[in-house]
Amino acid sequence: MSIKDYLKDRTLFLLINFTLFIILCGIILLSNSNSKIIFLIFCIWFLPILSYIFVEFIKQKIFYTELNNLMESLDKKYLLSEIVKEPEFIEGKFLHDLLKRTNKDMHEHVKKYRDMEHEYREYIETWVHEIKTPIASARLIIENNQNGITKDINQEIKKIEEYIEQVLYYSRSNNVSKDYIIKEVSLATLVRSIVKKNSRDFISKNISIDINAVEGTVYSDVKWLEFILNQVIGNAIKYIKDRNGKVTISTIQNENNIVLTIEDNGIGIIENDLNRVFEKGFTGENGRKFGKSTGIGLYLCKKLAKQLGLGLTLTSKTGEGTKVSIIFPLGSVNLIH
Amino acid sequence: MSKIVIIEDTEKIREELKTFLIRYGYDAIAPTNFENIFHETLREEPDLILLDINLPIFDGYYICREIRKTSDVPIIVVTSRDNEMDELMSMNLGADDFISKPFNTQILLARIETILRRVHGSNIRDTIVYNDLKLNLSNGSVIYNGITAELTKNELKILSCLIKNKGKIVSRDDLMDFMWNSDVFVDDNNLSVNITRLRKKLEGLGMKENIETRRGLGYILP
Repeated sequence: MSIKDYLKDRTLFLLINFTLFIILCGIILLSNSNSKIIFLIFCIWFLPILSYIFVEFIKQKIFYTELNNLMESLDKKYLLSEIVKEPEFIEGKFLHDLLKRTNKDMHEHVKKYRDMEHEYREYIETWVHEIKTPIASARLIIENNQNGITKDINQEIKKIEEYIEQVLYYSRSNNVSKDYIIKEVSLATLVRSIVKKNSRDFISKNISIDINAVEGTVYSDVKWLEFILNQVIGNAIKYIKDRNGKVTISTIQNENNIVLTIEDNGIGIIENDLNRVFEKGFTGENGRKFGKSTGIGLYLCKKLAKQLGLGLTLTSKTGEGTKVSIIFPLGSVNLIH
Repeated sequence: MSKIVIIEDTEKIREELKTFLIRYGYDAIAPTNFENIFHETLREEPDLILLDINLPIFDGYYICREIRKTSDVPIIVVTSRDNEMDELMSMNLGADDFISKPFNTQILLARIETILRRVHGSNIRDTIVYNDLKLNLSNGSVIYNGITAELTKNELKILSCLIKNKGKIVSRDDLMDFMWNSDVFVDDNNLSVNITRLRKKLEGLGMKENIETRRGLGYILP
């Protein structure tokens, strides 16, 4: 707030005073009085008014500057009305009150949506658990009645399971604090379990796997890691299109991190698409060519990885393959807490 | 024969699981009276219990705790609640293992076998027999008419899979899947090489029956 703005705000008041003063001067001049008296009247009239305006300006300047600084320093701006002390002048009081009331209303509004979201999330979680029972039954029925047809159905059910898993983690990804448990995870055990989970696809597409160079332990949530790794390995399998497919998983131990790398010799990703692969809903050239891509998998991986404090990078060359690295900072357990 | 009690309220899963376990040579019992589930379970004197968590009347955690008060029978919790908390909770209440639904049946079998072997020592399911051939799973040797031969890990897995499915054709994919699920990640060529070697070893023992190839279908031990 500058003095100019402040005076501009009081133009009318000053204008009226000046007009009255000029009229008064006219009257005094017409009555042939001493012109010295005009100067005296001017002083008596305007000195208090101008000093009043000046003092008020300083007061307001201080008040608004403080308010502005407070606003700048606040992380959550909407908390301003809770933090600022109630002003003493009448407009200030009135506005403060208004602000508080609108804020309260806004909070209620937001809470309503938060509750709705929470309820929806709970429903999704329950739904996911419920649906696992019929899937488990279906798989047992298939196991007890093995033939070519049930084997095909089994493959389809496996896909259903993966989509369900995605729903679960999608709903969890927005609210990480609730259900993750950080403990020691052996990377070799983790990788083996995910490779086993996808064994049928590896075998039927005749893809060989090399996991000999995987070692080391990290501190993270094993369920979340399993999900991320399963998506990445699933992609590797999906985009190996010719024979002699090979997936190599290895770890490199650096001074301050461990890098788990999943490398395939599949069709790769064109350069233009590379920096968008982690975007939500992005399917790119491969998505157009081969379909069956939702653009959710890698997006979720990135999001979950970020929340676990892990790095996730992807490099690729068309026709040569894709390489995904998961970077575990050493002592990541300290970073998260 | 090991006796397994299945405590599970979903009828379909209960029955199919029972059929499945019986097919793999276990004596499976699935009580349906949940009001009196401890007594029914303990009366059977099972070697192992498969326990669901979401159950009518008493939940799985409660049952687990009650069983632990009087018995050390191994318990595997099988549930669709798969978060870490449930797993921790089950372990704290004395369960021996935790599998989430829907489970891979082969993994379930493997876990059951591991636990039974650990609890009852090495005499259970440690050797499997095919006609006059004895296969020792713990040291990887085969004995036929008093002659012993040592098998490699891969050969052992192949032979045990074929013996468990004797009289049935096992496709190459199924065989490889079995091996992958036992941590042996062989590829197609590897499998052929291993089968050839295994055949030679069995021949060397003087076995009349040997692994037969059914073109386009897989392998079979008649």
